[in-house]
Amino acid sequence: MRPFAVGATAALLSVGLFLALWVSPPDSYQGEYVRILYVHVPAALAAYGAAAVACGASALYLWRRDLRWDFVGRAGAELAALFSGLTLLTGMLWGKPVWGVWWAWDARLVTTAVLFLLYVGCLLVRDLADDPERGRRLSAAVAVLAFLDVPVVHYSVVWFRTLHQGPSISLQGVKLAPEFLLPLAVNTLAYLALLGVLLAERARLASLEVER
Amino acid sequence: MRAWRRVVAVARKDLLLEWRGRDALIPAGSFGLAVLLVLGLVSGGGWEAAPPALWVSLLLAAVVAAGRGADREGEEGTLEALLLYPGSREDLFWGRWLAVCVLLLLLGAGLWGVQVLLFNAPTRGVGVLVLAGLLSAFGLAAVGTLLAALLTHVRAGPLLMPLLFLPATVPVLLAGVRLSEAAASGAPAGPWWGVLAVFDLLFLLVGPALFEVVVEA
Amino acid sequence: MRPLDPVVTEALSRRFGAVVALRGVGLRVREGTCLLLVGPNGSGKTTLLRVLATALRPTEGRAWVGGYDVVSEGHRVREVCVYLGTSPGVYAGLTGFENLCLAADLCGRPRRQVPELLAWAGLEPVAYTLTGTYSLGMRRRLALARVRLQEPRVLLLDEPFVGLDEDGARLVSELVAGVKDRGGAVVLATHDHHRARALCDAVAELDSGRLLSYGPAGLAGAVNRG
Repeated sequence: MRPFAVGATAALLSVGLFLALWVSPPDSYQGEYVRILYVHVPAALAAYGAAAVACGASALYLWRRDLRWDFVGRAGAELAALFSGLTLLTGMLWGKPVWGVWWAWDARLVTTAVLFLLYVGCLLVRDLADDPERGRRLSAAVAVLAFLDVPVVHYSVVWFRTLHQGPSISLQGVKLAPEFLLPLAVNTLAYLALLGVLLAERARLASLEVER
Repeated sequence: MRAWRRVVAVARKDLLLEWRGRDALIPAGSFGLAVLLVLGLVSGGGWEAAPPALWVSLLLAAVVAAGRGADREGEEGTLEALLLYPGSREDLFWGRWLAVCVLLLLLGAGLWGVQVLLFNAPTRGVGVLVLAGLLSAFGLAAVGTLLAALLTHVRAGPLLMPLLFLPATVPVLLAGVRLSEAAASGAPAGPWWGVLAVFDLLFLLVGPALFEVVVEA
Repeated sequence: MRPLDPVVTEALSRRFGAVVALRGVGLRVREGTCLLLVGPNGSGKTTLLRVLATALRPTEGRAWVGGYDVVSEGHRVREVCVYLGTSPGVYAGLTGFENLCLAADLCGRPRRQVPELLAWAGLEPVAYTLTGTYSLGMRRRLALARVRLQEPRVLLLDEPFVGLDEDGARLVSELVAGVKDRGGAVVLATHDHHRARALCDAVAELDSGRLLSYGPAGLAGAVNRG
């Protein structure tokens, strides 16, 4: 099961990369820079997925006090920090040529930055707690608090000011041309698979650390 | 009835210690003043810069003030005795929350007054500001009380406090700025009362529950 | 199975990182008795008391205080048990009277007992003085008054005689005797064997977290050797 999952994820990532770099045409407005979005958007989704996993697993750990939930929560928090960092980085790389600025005070970027900071704090709390058991409990509390706070942060920034093209994929209908949609869909799938594999591997590593 | 007595006892104890020592209000207030002064200086001190300066200084002062109660327990070695009393530990949360609320309202009132002087800001819409101050204080005190308890047993805890407190309270900052502007111009408040209400509701529900988990042995 | 004895531990262990503070300690304190914990510094006496008081979680093993599990029923344990640690746990910025009123409010006792308790502890003259001006012995007397206010069924004392004069030591004896008379149990850790011997019915000797000997006060050699 494990080699299959890793292999399938690697294959999906390669196909996604191929579609993004060769198959996808340049965008009429963004030009070649549209290719950055094939990393940016999937990474953002993976970051929020990881944060959701961290919150859920942490809540279950606090309720059940089963170490296995802590391993998952820890993996989720680390990956939330990693993928939100990647999202911020690719967002800036894309923003400079397309918007003309490295950073825009856009709601989604600011929310992702807040998510990044809170999960960095969550990891620091775990490492700096005076006792490993306490570290698990405290970082789980931060993971829950951070994830519940993020929607409120998001809507408050949306209403405060926003400068972003509206979401291209909404529930009402898909506005994206199919030649862009396919690479985006495949890459999103690939990043979510990558998230799943990394979550499982990191949780397994954490359990091995405890056994040792 | 008994829970109420415990809540009031903790709040009264914190406020009495604060009244005698003034070791939260004076440092946090002076810090808030310094922030206001610096922000006024770099922004040119026009009245339109007043709401952001006021709320940024209040949030930074809140970081200092909210952690003081927990620090005091640590310095005096009284935390363990406090936690080992019989009864729900949620009462301890609410007691400290109440005391922090009072401190934040005092800080907010003081900083508002100084901001009026420094920025030549209009004093219209005091009713809106009072309500905004109350709702913000409820939420900020809940986050501050929870985080201070959480960071008690973390090395460099006071350094992590702003890292967690400031991003988490972004909604209060934004709502406060917009409500201050609305108060000054008489414009409609938009969705901001809702933002404050949802933020308060979230942390007043989650705060006590997580507090109990956080202060466990 | 809920044990009947007021204090029971089974294979209790506690680690702090790589340091093992308690290793598989099994004890039983019967109703109306007092157990004396002896052992050199760092032998695990305080750790054991803190685990019983629910101030520390055991790493392995179980413990019951007043019949309640210290991990899963901590809130019930705190209703029947009082732990007096090495820090007196009084607020320097409050007067003796205010400290006891706070304690009364927190544990749901009537405040009218407070003056009487201050008199019992010999603190009447300084009742309205900030405890920051108290000596260590006076602060410990105030902490003893707090214990008396709570009337616990199980009393856990860590070095209760430190800083106390003869009168103060008598207060400790009165508290211990009171708990024993009510059918409760006392666990007392101290190096002051001379004062403790008269109060205790059993002695447990700890060393490096291990229980070395455990038996009636008269028989165990620990007190005499210590």
